[in-house]
Amino acid sequence: MDETHAVRLTGVSKRFADTYAVRDLNLDIEAGLFFSLLGPSGCGKTTSLRMIGGFTDPTEGSVLLAGEDVTALPPNKRNVNTVFQSYALFDHLSIADNVAFGLKRKGVEKAEIRRRVGEMLELVQLDGFAGRKPRTLSGGQRQRVALARALVNRPAVLLLDEPLAALDLKLRRQMQVELKQIQREVGITFVFVTHDQDEALTMSDRICVMNEGRVEQCGTPEDVYEHPASRFVASFMGTSNLMTGTYRGGEVTLDQGPALPVGPRAAIADGTPVSVSLRPEKVWLSDFEPGMSVLRGVIRDTVYSGPTTTYLIELAPGVTLSVLEQNTARARMEDRWSGGETVEFGWRPEHCLVLA
Amino acid sequence: MAPTRHPSRPRRGPDATGTRMWTWFMLPGTLWMTGFLIASLVLVAVLTLGTTDELGNPRFGFDLSSIRALADPAYTEVLARSLGYALLTCVICLLIAYPVAYTIALHGGRWKHALIAAIVVPFFANYLVRMYGWSVVLSDDGPLLRALRAVGLADGDTKILNTGVGVIAGLVYGFVVFMIIPLYAALERLDVSLIEAGRDLYGGPVRTFLHVTLPATRQGAAAGLVLVFLPAMGDFVSAQLMGGPDQIMIGNLIQDKFFQGQNWPLGSALTMLLMLVLLVGMLGYLRRTRKDEAEARR
Amino acid sequence: MTQLSPPATTASPAPDRPAARTRTRRGRADRKPRVLVAVTALFFALLYLPIAVVTLFSFNSQKSLTVFSGFSLRWYRAFAHDDVLISSLGTSLRISLVATAGSIVLGVALALGLVRSRTRLGSLAGLIMLVPLITPEIVTGVASMLLFKGLGVTLSTGTVMVSEITFSISYVTVILRSRVAALNPEVEEAAMDLGATRWQAVRLVTLPALLPAVLASAVLIFALVFDDFVLAYFTTGVDPQPLSVRIYSAIRFGVQPTINAVGTLMLAGSIGLIALALFIPRLFGRRGGLDILSGS
Repeated sequence: MDETHAVRLTGVSKRFADTYAVRDLNLDIEAGLFFSLLGPSGCGKTTSLRMIGGFTDPTEGSVLLAGEDVTALPPNKRNVNTVFQSYALFDHLSIADNVAFGLKRKGVEKAEIRRRVGEMLELVQLDGFAGRKPRTLSGGQRQRVALARALVNRPAVLLLDEPLAALDLKLRRQMQVELKQIQREVGITFVFVTHDQDEALTMSDRICVMNEGRVEQCGTPEDVYEHPASRFVASFMGTSNLMTGTYRGGEVTLDQGPALPVGPRAAIADGTPVSVSLRPEKVWLSDFEPGMSVLRGVIRDTVYSGPTTTYLIELAPGVTLSVLEQNTARARMEDRWSGGETVEFGWRPEHCLVLA
Repeated sequence: MAPTRHPSRPRRGPDATGTRMWTWFMLPGTLWMTGFLIASLVLVAVLTLGTTDELGNPRFGFDLSSIRALADPAYTEVLARSLGYALLTCVICLLIAYPVAYTIALHGGRWKHALIAAIVVPFFANYLVRMYGWSVVLSDDGPLLRALRAVGLADGDTKILNTGVGVIAGLVYGFVVFMIIPLYAALERLDVSLIEAGRDLYGGPVRTFLHVTLPATRQGAAAGLVLVFLPAMGDFVSAQLMGGPDQIMIGNLIQDKFFQGQNWPLGSALTMLLMLVLLVGMLGYLRRTRKDEAEARR
Repeated sequence: MTQLSPPATTASPAPDRPAARTRTRRGRADRKPRVLVAVTALFFALLYLPIAVVTLFSFNSQKSLTVFSGFSLRWYRAFAHDDVLISSLGTSLRISLVATAGSIVLGVALALGLVRSRTRLGSLAGLIMLVPLITPEIVTGVASMLLFKGLGVTLSTGTVMVSEITFSISYVTVILRSRVAALNPEVEEAAMDLGATRWQAVRLVTLPALLPAVLASAVLIFALVFDDFVLAYFTTGVDPQPLSVRIYSAIRFGVQPTINAVGTLMLAGSIGLIALALFIPRLFGRRGGLDILSGS
């Protein structure tokens, strides 16, 4: 038996009436990782999380926690805890009683409960709020209570269902850092559901991108971002120039335009229609190096956004590429390119990805 | 041990236990209601076909005489009177409740919650005592007639008690709150700026009222009409306290057949007749609201 | 309940109008039409006149209901010494207590089940629960009496209790249903997540959240049952009888001024209780409201 997997889903499907929310999902989540389920709304990520937590029965397949089949167990018999999207705090109980709820259910003795609740409130920086009622707290504070209430039980796995979605941007950024820190501190496996790719990239050790009830790709953030396995992943993770064309001998001839040299890719027959993905930040406008592909195009538009500027370059009629340039110290205002100018641009072939 | 994969075998997971628990929650109340209410209503329907023996005890059977007896002019007259009283009560309640609800909802300001509570709270207090007090107010030398005589609106012979007017006055006093609550709710939801916009669009206050306020509160009024009609049609206290023998309503007949007259099959038939009338009213209301909703959606 | 009709909808201005304009609009609407105010004032006068008359003459030193001849507590004393009325008062209190407890237990469970369960039994139960609300009390009364007689049960305080529970379950369910529906189901899931069984989740989390509404409806039901006489009249035995049935007989067969005193006490009691029912949610920091009476 292999105990390094905190969570394992094998062949899990969930059908509501006649549509599948999740279809034949196989997932191994290693212990101690910050694991994100990422996807657009309706992709099945929350349903998957609910099946791990025990709130939803899988129609097919098994849920294993630390090697033990828990598919038929109710939530209270599973060694996992959840931070809900709505926080789901108990309004009639004080903050301390909210956090103590799980320990009381387990029959932990009173002095021990008081000690652990105190510790946990300190960890989430809410010491001094113990006697308050949830209604008197701000959104960020309620979020911390929900986290403390779950973590105090020292679960094997903590499930987080879009816990930051209700917070404003600034608070969200701050909580992202804090959550990651707390996860490192307690060493508990976090399974984090989000639709925000930035959030997933900055916080996770592993990301699983889901779409329409299926897993599109699993891997480290770098893997998923730099080597998207599908057109969906390429477009969902950040921005990408996605073009269609035909593969022929290390090149892809675009449907309307030139042929682009692409990175090595095994097992594609000549003449196969494919998609090509090229990240805007991988395209250079100057200082080309040997081995780069270089083309010419006309700048159609520039979008200045502080640290970066995006250029829209037309390389053939109807084919526009967006290119991201850092506005670093040496690129001064007068050095930047302007609309209408014809420029050269280039990239390393391995950054031009072929997607089936 | 390698995890085994379960094909779609039926299992009792968390969802199933939840469904079972909620069913257990519903069961006692549903059984209670079915056993004591639905069963008893069925019993009334069945007894409609029953007969009585020489001692007046009810006997089950299949006999249409009680239903046929309903065609007796003595009963059709009472039914017609009950319908007339109940409908008049509805109209009068609407005429009284509309200005009151309108004034409180639109001009009540910060007092409007207190004012509406001041209407609702006593109305939910003891019905009998209120009706009794009302009968004292309406009595021949009660405060109302004395005031009317003083200003010359009534003479020494004017009576309210023991007349149809008295019965209707009783029904209105008893149930007008059921008209005020839905109207107030509808009017309170009405945005004041809607009325102002209506002024811009239609001009005068009367046309604004007809084109903006009235349509917006039509469903509230319809709900109020049903809520008043239901208890007014079945009431027997008002006719007893404010009316005389010539003003009895169907409720009094039913009461009489079950207590003094001891003809339970006939009483049951009258009860079913009352239910039938109310059912027709309810269906009419439901059709009306459904049509309104369909129009509003279009 | 109310849908705006098409002309009204098209006339609706943008919702984000500035506050200053709103104020001037309110100012114009605040010009009170005198006729409407007069009608409302007259309505209030007539609404409270019967209550005032009963209260006033309960303190009359003479038997008359038309001439007030002096302040006296004579009728209250007569009530206090009337063993029949006092025992009826006890009977009514017992009936109200039992009926409130019974209908709260059954009604709260029913409301929870109705909202959470998505079975066919659920929709059937939802329909059955509406029946008392569209049936006049006299029909329910007649039907209950027939059922008890048909089952060979002697009419008594117990049969009144059963009928009052039947009637009150609907009220409790209607009032609480919307409250249950407004609860966040994730809160119950959170309790289970933290180790509670389903039943513990309901007991420790859902019921405390419903407590204000449950208390308010309990007070309301208590007052309604205590005041009810139609159901009680059809289902009570000969002795003891609930107070409202005694009052009914007294009113029908010649007025005794004692009834004024009893009536005044009953009015004061139920007005107090209903006002309390409206106020209870505010004690818990929620918005109190009349919706508890109208159920919507």
